[in-house]
Amino acid sequence: MTSPSPGAAGQVGGSGGHTADDLLASYADGAVDGVLAWSVEAHLTACAQCRSALSAHVDSERLARNRSALLVRAAIGDGGRAHRMLRCCGVPDYLLRLLAATPSLRRSWLLSVIGVLAVVAGEAAAVGYGWIPGGRSAGPAGYPAPAVLAPFLLVAPLLVLAGVAAAFLPMFEPAYWLAVAAPFSGVRLLLVRAVSALTAALVPAVCAAFVLPGPGWLPAALLLPSLALCALALAAATFVDPSAAAVIAGALWALPAALLLATTNVPLAIVQWHSQSACAAVLIASAVVLFVRRDRFQLGWMR
Amino acid sequence: MRTAAGMSPVAEERDDAPLLRAVARGDEDSLAALYDRHAGWLTVRMTRRCAMPDVVDHAVQDTFLALWREAGAYRGGGDVAAFIWGIGVRRLIDAIRRENGARRRMRWRAAEPSVVISAEDQVLVGIEHGRLGQALAELSPELRGAIEATVLDGLTCAEAAVLLGVAEGTVKSRCHRARLALRAALTEPATGPGTQITRRQAWETP
Amino acid sequence: MNEDTAAVRVDCVSRRYGATRALDEVGLTLERGITGLLGPNGAGKTTLLSILATVNEPDAGRVSVFGLDPRDGAERVEIRRRLGYLPQELGYHRHFTVAAFLDYVAILKEITDRHRRAEEVARVLAAIGLERYARKRIRALSGGMRQRLGIAQALLGNPDLLVLDEPTAGLDPEQRLRFRELLSDLPGDPVIVLSTHQADDIAAICPNVIVLLEGQVRFAGSPSGLAAAAGGQVWSADDRDHGAHLSWRGGDGRWRHVGDRPPADAELVAPTVEDGYLMLSHAAGVR
Repeated sequence: MTSPSPGAAGQVGGSGGHTADDLLASYADGAVDGVLAWSVEAHLTACAQCRSALSAHVDSERLARNRSALLVRAAIGDGGRAHRMLRCCGVPDYLLRLLAATPSLRRSWLLSVIGVLAVVAGEAAAVGYGWIPGGRSAGPAGYPAPAVLAPFLLVAPLLVLAGVAAAFLPMFEPAYWLAVAAPFSGVRLLLVRAVSALTAALVPAVCAAFVLPGPGWLPAALLLPSLALCALALAAATFVDPSAAAVIAGALWALPAALLLATTNVPLAIVQWHSQSACAAVLIASAVVLFVRRDRFQLGWMR
Repeated sequence: MRTAAGMSPVAEERDDAPLLRAVARGDEDSLAALYDRHAGWLTVRMTRRCAMPDVVDHAVQDTFLALWREAGAYRGGGDVAAFIWGIGVRRLIDAIRRENGARRRMRWRAAEPSVVISAEDQVLVGIEHGRLGQALAELSPELRGAIEATVLDGLTCAEAAVLLGVAEGTVKSRCHRARLALRAALTEPATGPGTQITRRQAWETP
Repeated sequence: MNEDTAAVRVDCVSRRYGATRALDEVGLTLERGITGLLGPNGAGKTTLLSILATVNEPDAGRVSVFGLDPRDGAERVEIRRRLGYLPQELGYHRHFTVAAFLDYVAILKEITDRHRRAEEVARVLAAIGLERYARKRIRALSGGMRQRLGIAQALLGNPDLLVLDEPTAGLDPEQRLRFRELLSDLPGDPVIVLSTHQADDIAAICPNVIVLLEGQVRFAGSPSGLAAAAGGQVWSADDRDHGAHLSWRGGDGRWRHVGDRPPADAELVAPTVEDGYLMLSHAAGVR
């Protein structure tokens, strides 16, 4: 490595004589070291002219390549605060970008879900706590009458199901055929999206459940039916058309729920032990089916 | 290496600050102009600290992206180039850490170092002919590297450790030894070349 | 064509949708370079291309892409790693920007490192001439630009097999020219198969052409071979000739006729690719 004598450095700050350019060229090549390099760098920090002259000695193709990559990354953006927070927690950047394409994780969707929950839970709370005269008496054991909580119990798992459906239905994925034809594992994509959508929908539902009058375990009792419903929809999607699977799963919840609520006097039958065990059984069975037939999500082949 | 063609004409010093303000407002063309002015020297300066060209490329991109987001942090004191280097060196360390497999990213404050670096740079500009310059030149490369990282680049010992690829304790001890050697050199009366050779042997890292 | 070295082989592939036979025992081979798939709407081009792109499975027959069988799960993923696909109906997330959409597709193509992704997206944008539109939302793009975006996403990752369904639809003549140049300049010499119903695209871009009519391959060879199918059966006259299969007025004001029996005094002209295609269509009974 050649090291020009200290005397030559004095001309770094000059008005660009022949020697200075040689020095810059050597510096650009990495041939200048030690104290002389420090002087060059210190000077460059203050002198725009020499910075410009130095640029002429750097590989222009490399600079151009980085320039376009930079502009692309500036165009893509970094996704906002939520993105950055999750990235700091260790979630890989590419998973976050995949999730950004999920409709049920977008602000508009989440706001709608919260809105519906607020209306349903608000109405139930208002009647249950007696804020508005609803003409409904309390049911046995001091629990509010089934009818008070019925709308909420019916709607909350369906909202969670809708969120998960939006994560895997082809109609919500405009670039569906691209996703199918791509090597990225379809199962992995599905799981990441479904789990995120599930969480994003469950959290407001459980929070809303806390607001409601009723037993303290009501929020927890929402979990199994919601999970079972989503698992059922996904498992059914390996047999029939995904949209049909989502509708079937939704109907399988809505109809028995409505029936039970209408015919029994036992409050909150829908979230009592027998219902919960039924949901658990459905969840386990669906999970098994899903695991065994997970290749269907890889295929995406039309029937 | 081919020489650059069509690079921006010589930029006046005072044009950088308005450019930075334009970048803070979200003007993409200004970001491109800022890149054209500063990417060259930034790449070379980073390459002198890290030999891996891929890592340097990523660090340069990350630096300008950080500028894109944090241009508003520039308060007008000190050179824009110093501000950019303050961001850049930490992005370089991030990139080196990523390359080494670390997962967590530490948060850097962009605004602080510019003052520190400018002051040091002012001193360093005139040193080559002086006794300080001679003393620095006689340090072994490892000790000089430690001084460069902590003083010239304004890094903490932890950050310098990543850059130099050694343990933090090693950086601390090297800085300490370097400072001792410099102090000794500057308080000694001027001597002939023979004595200097002996001193160099004493200061070389085992 | 040597069967053993062919990059893509299709053997006796059939596919039906209900009562319609979309593909009827189709067999063909594809080499490196550009092959055009020519045929009218409903001929089975889209079905065939979707089978090549591994998003559709045939009812019968075998497909082999670079020696890999799409029926096997692991080999199918390997094919997809080397594939670039432009479907006929490509939907876009309308709220995405151009750069964000390409970034998304790049992730689907397993480019997980964000620096490499940015470089790849930048490369593809430059190739297709959309750099200035990187920040624009897709819903604000014109149809032609969206088509170019579709081609751009197929180029991500430098695929070895490019399957393009009607890539020139919606492109104006200048963009068509750029597209032709782009295809000829691709690194790595991939296998490119594109479908079109315009014969002049074939004549200009494709050194190989396959004509698909009603689910069957009617011709496989070079464009000049296709033109030769109408050899001696194309003539030009000042007036309309009612004995011809097809007549139309050319740009020079004269009538061009394609038919089985040119009149004795007819002025025979050299056939073009389009003439050959029309002859084949007529012979197959397709209108």
